[in-house]
Amino acid sequence: MIALRDIPECFEGVIPAMMTTCSLEGEPNITEISQVHLVDDTHVALSHQFFNKTQRNVRENPHASVLLFSPRTYEQYRLQLRFDHPESEGPLFDEMAARLQVIASHTGMVGVFKLRCADVYEVLSAEHVEGYLLPADPRVPRQERTEGRLEAMARELRGLQAISCRVNRAGCLEVLLESVLQALEEELGFRHAMVLLPDERGRLVTTASHGYGSGGVGAEVPMGEGLIGTVAARRRPMRVAGVGAELRYWRTIRAELRQAGNAPSAPEIPLPGLPDAQAQLALPLLVGDRLVGVLALESREPMAFDAWTETFLNILANQIALGIDRAASADDEGEQLPAAVAGEGTAAIAVPRTRVFQLFRNDDCIFVDSEYLIRNIPAKILWKLLRAHSESGRTEFSNRELRLDESLGLPEVRDNLESRLILLRKRLEEKCPEVQIRPVRRGRFELQIRCGVQLRESDSA
Amino acid sequence: MATLDPALVEFLSSGVVLGCASRDARLVPRSVWAVGIRVEAGGEEVTVFLPMATAAEVVANLQDARRIAVVATAPVDHRSVQLKGQVLEVRPASEDEQSLTDRYRACLGRTLEPLGVPRAFVLRIQHWPAHAVRFRVEELFVQTPGPAAGQPFQGPFRPPEPVRT
Repeated sequence: MIALRDIPECFEGVIPAMMTTCSLEGEPNITEISQVHLVDDTHVALSHQFFNKTQRNVRENPHASVLLFSPRTYEQYRLQLRFDHPESEGPLFDEMAARLQVIASHTGMVGVFKLRCADVYEVLSAEHVEGYLLPADPRVPRQERTEGRLEAMARELRGLQAISCRVNRAGCLEVLLESVLQALEEELGFRHAMVLLPDERGRLVTTASHGYGSGGVGAEVPMGEGLIGTVAARRRPMRVAGVGAELRYWRTIRAELRQAGNAPSAPEIPLPGLPDAQAQLALPLLVGDRLVGVLALESREPMAFDAWTETFLNILANQIALGIDRAASADDEGEQLPAAVAGEGTAAIAVPRTRVFQLFRNDDCIFVDSEYLIRNIPAKILWKLLRAHSESGRTEFSNRELRLDESLGLPEVRDNLESRLILLRKRLEEKCPEVQIRPVRRGRFELQIRCGVQLRESDSA
Repeated sequence: MATLDPALVEFLSSGVVLGCASRDARLVPRSVWAVGIRVEAGGEEVTVFLPMATAAEVVANLQDARRIAVVATAPVDHRSVQLKGQVLEVRPASEDEQSLTDRYRACLGRTLEPLGVPRAFVLRIQHWPAHAVRFRVEELFVQTPGPAAGQPFQGPFRPPEPVRT
């Protein structure tokens, strides 16, 4: 018997499994199932959204057999099972239900149906199906060298140490987030990552991103929605492997429901980030029980993130969370900022022009030259700065005066001012590089304007 | 008694994944991947091919209990049908049936490749020598995931959705 923990990739839901049961009358039944969940060393669980023959059979004859496939080696494994008990509440049920809803949300199926129950099975035996695959032809060169486990762990540990040092050294929030995301690629090979920070509206705002081009910052995810929103709401990491396979499976159910006249009305929600992501991992950034953000990673490789990745990145997530908290509270004036942030100034812009900033007061939203720029508190801050500059020519401002200005609506505690300024700075860099906000010392920043500025206000669009 | 219509026969030869289920005298089920299928007797009988390398216990069960279930699933969109019936004959597949299992494996490779499964792996599936198991089809069931899964198959299948990987 092989140990279930030695084949964790078989439980990621990348390749569907085959489940066989038998009725009390002796009639075998076989069906494809999208995922077998690993519960512990001797138990697995299956999720059920519809009552079906498999469920009926195991309640009268508890024996079952399942064929699993490794998405890494394509080898086959057979588990002989005995139905143990159903669960309709508790941690296992919640975990499986949350996972179901994450995938359902991407196909517009949230609330259409829910997990009915999780059936837990005792694993009586687990075996490698000998002879299913012929041995690999040794004359065919392998596509890539397989890294030894110890070698990989040593590399990952070195990577963690390097990133941990960057977190420790970062003098401000912006440097912290950018250097961590860059290091995730350089040290660990994760090319697509973002950090989202919560705002006062219960939304998560992308404040730093890496590997998505220039357009990633500012994208929002509602709390509780999709993988990132669910991770934030549950404060637990989650990952989805084989996203393409999962989406195909759910689109089939959606089509079947439509055929049965129960078509879900919600549209498909595009995956955030990479349009063709095959694997996603999101980790909550927590200080105690308090959520300070979400670290989200994506890959085009279906098996890019496994349980091990989740575990060691969680260590890193804890460090990042503490770093964010430290940066948000160590906001006193006076200290010199790293050169990478302070006085970096955009390269000279050749042709001065006039940019028109339009504030829509009803939803605190600013457009620049008819293109959306920013909203909410960062928009109020920008408007205050532009007004002050236009009225008195002022260019230098302090965090403290922003905090004292009640009209901005900053919360009294944990105001996340630093992250709002980062968001504002990055949106300006992307949409209006002639207007920049540059930190000059800790707690002070400069408004740099290299164009004509025209301000307009109206109640609504 | 059930009869497979031409659309279903075509579906079965379109590179579907095939699973064959059996059970022993204690009603303990066991299954194996099949490596080919042929519809006979005007759609009333089916021969399914099981690799000798992996199907010994399943074949023993089928010879003993004579009850069989075969599921065919399209990997692209998960459309799926289950055939249940009575085993009529179990024998070693003949040499002239090898080409049928060769074609099945090649077709499966073409189906799985766009989904990210390298064809080299499919070509490593040990498909020969094989057992040939002929059975009389008694019942057909929808196995496509969704509210209709497990209901009697009325046919025909809806057209496959375009592949989005």
